[in-house]
Amino acid sequence: MGLLTILKKMKQKEREMRLLMLGLDNAGKTTILKKFNGEDVSTISPTLGFNIKTLEHKGFKLNIWDVGGQKSLRSYWRNYFESTDGLVWVVDSADRLRLEDCRKELSSLLLEERLAGATLLVFANKQDLPGALSKEAIQEALALDDIKSHHWCIIGCSAVTGKNLLAGVDWLLDDIAARIFTTD
Amino acid sequence: MEAMAEHSQETRVTGESGADKIQERLQRRHQARAEDAERKKEAKESRSVAEEKSEYFSSTFNAERASIEELLSSCSGADRAVVTQTLEEATVKTLQLQKFLNDSMLFLTQYELRRAQDALQKLLTSSADIREEALPKKKFAFRARSKATDKVSAPPVTDTPAVTDSTKVDVVAPAESVQCCFSNMDNVCVIKTAEEIHKQDVLLTHLTNCKVRLFGSPSTLHMTHIDNCEILCGPVSSSVFVDHCRNSTLAIPCQQLRTHNTTDTQVYLHITSRAIVEDCRGVGFAPFTFSYPTLDEDFIVSGLDRDRNNWSQVDDFNWLAAGTPSPNWTVIPEADRKTNWEL
Repeated sequence: MGLLTILKKMKQKEREMRLLMLGLDNAGKTTILKKFNGEDVSTISPTLGFNIKTLEHKGFKLNIWDVGGQKSLRSYWRNYFESTDGLVWVVDSADRLRLEDCRKELSSLLLEERLAGATLLVFANKQDLPGALSKEAIQEALALDDIKSHHWCIIGCSAVTGKNLLAGVDWLLDDIAARIFTTD
Repeated sequence: MEAMAEHSQETRVTGESGADKIQERLQRRHQARAEDAERKKEAKESRSVAEEKSEYFSSTFNAERASIEELLSSCSGADRAVVTQTLEEATVKTLQLQKFLNDSMLFLTQYELRRAQDALQKLLTSSADIREEALPKKKFAFRARSKATDKVSAPPVTDTPAVTDSTKVDVVAPAESVQCCFSNMDNVCVIKTAEEIHKQDVLLTHLTNCKVRLFGSPSTLHMTHIDNCEILCGPVSSSVFVDHCRNSTLAIPCQQLRTHNTTDTQVYLHITSRAIVEDCRGVGFAPFTFSYPTLDEDFIVSGLDRDRNNWSQVDDFNWLAAGTPSPNWTVIPEADRKTNWEL
């Protein structure tokens, strides 16, 4: 038995994952985090800095990092890349004006070496709004089909109603678990 | 214990030949011990994995790298389909190599690790270069405009094309998509009623010297390039964006306010979370005082809490020093606040 196998076994015992949630400002990152954790979402302010939540889901311990998306904070995103197992990219589906910005930010993230091993989940958020683009339109606008370097999946959701948040996180956990935990 | 007992018995029984026996016994013991050590050593060797040796790593890594480089070099001059396929294969192989490197990290020295990472990085860049060169990325563009013109120039003869068209109108041009939009106006007075902006996204852009009255409750409100305007708006159920705005007066109730690149502007605010400013100068805040006949109903439509107003709690994203207040925004002194609003 090699040392690596031992280490993997240890990690498996802890079943701990680190998820990093990023996206442009007003995408709904904090709302997703709070809704997922069952907290009140009506008084959320724009995030100045970051939020961390540790929660148990499906027998995994999730450390979720939600970092503010304002322009002046984006340069700090890289401080959070280290040992990220899953990247959650949140898109405001109703914000058509900044989709191109959104695509650029995402594609520059995917070039990042320290995120090379991470699984990518794209949340097309705010599907409850009448003006929201469908998840297929977001998929095209962000050129997700060109991504060859990461496992990815796009899920339409609404942080306000909570719709599809679980489905997204479950997919992410399954994908990460299949990758980092050895199945005996 | 048993051996000891046996030993002492033997010495007693055999008498003088005992010395020889002991010698022989010691000899045997020594041999057994040596064999045991040998066995342990073998067992240890068989346990250590051949893969966890740096020679094995470097030879495998280099072989794999060479094969990827060959793949990449075969791309030049080939046609599009072939290039796509080869690049795909190269990417998969590169990823495998990356994984191999990650798995081997534990037993590699820093130097080897760095060299391998550099090599991988080089592979990635060269494959990206080739991709860029051979398969220039299709730029994303909103398509509805062309669809629309198609429809105008060639009205559908049968029903079927019309149906396929309507399913495609998902991606539409920004200006059309924002359901309520005013742009490029100078010296105009704009008034909108509750029916017109009920739960719509409203966009105001490139307005100069304008008066805007939005009676009703929009879903979101975007304002960009606003100069010397007075904008009064009913309760916005989610966020208000202000970008590149100057010398203006705004009065808005909302859940969130995000102010960017704005100078010398007064904001009369009712906000249920906290307002933010980023890259702003001279922004003044005061509580929302503007009123119109159906304001109460619009508050109910928006779902905003009338009793919670954090208008004076402003976060400046360019001023992270705790303790000292940001110089970029101020509270408007009560004497200077606007109290009578013309509808």
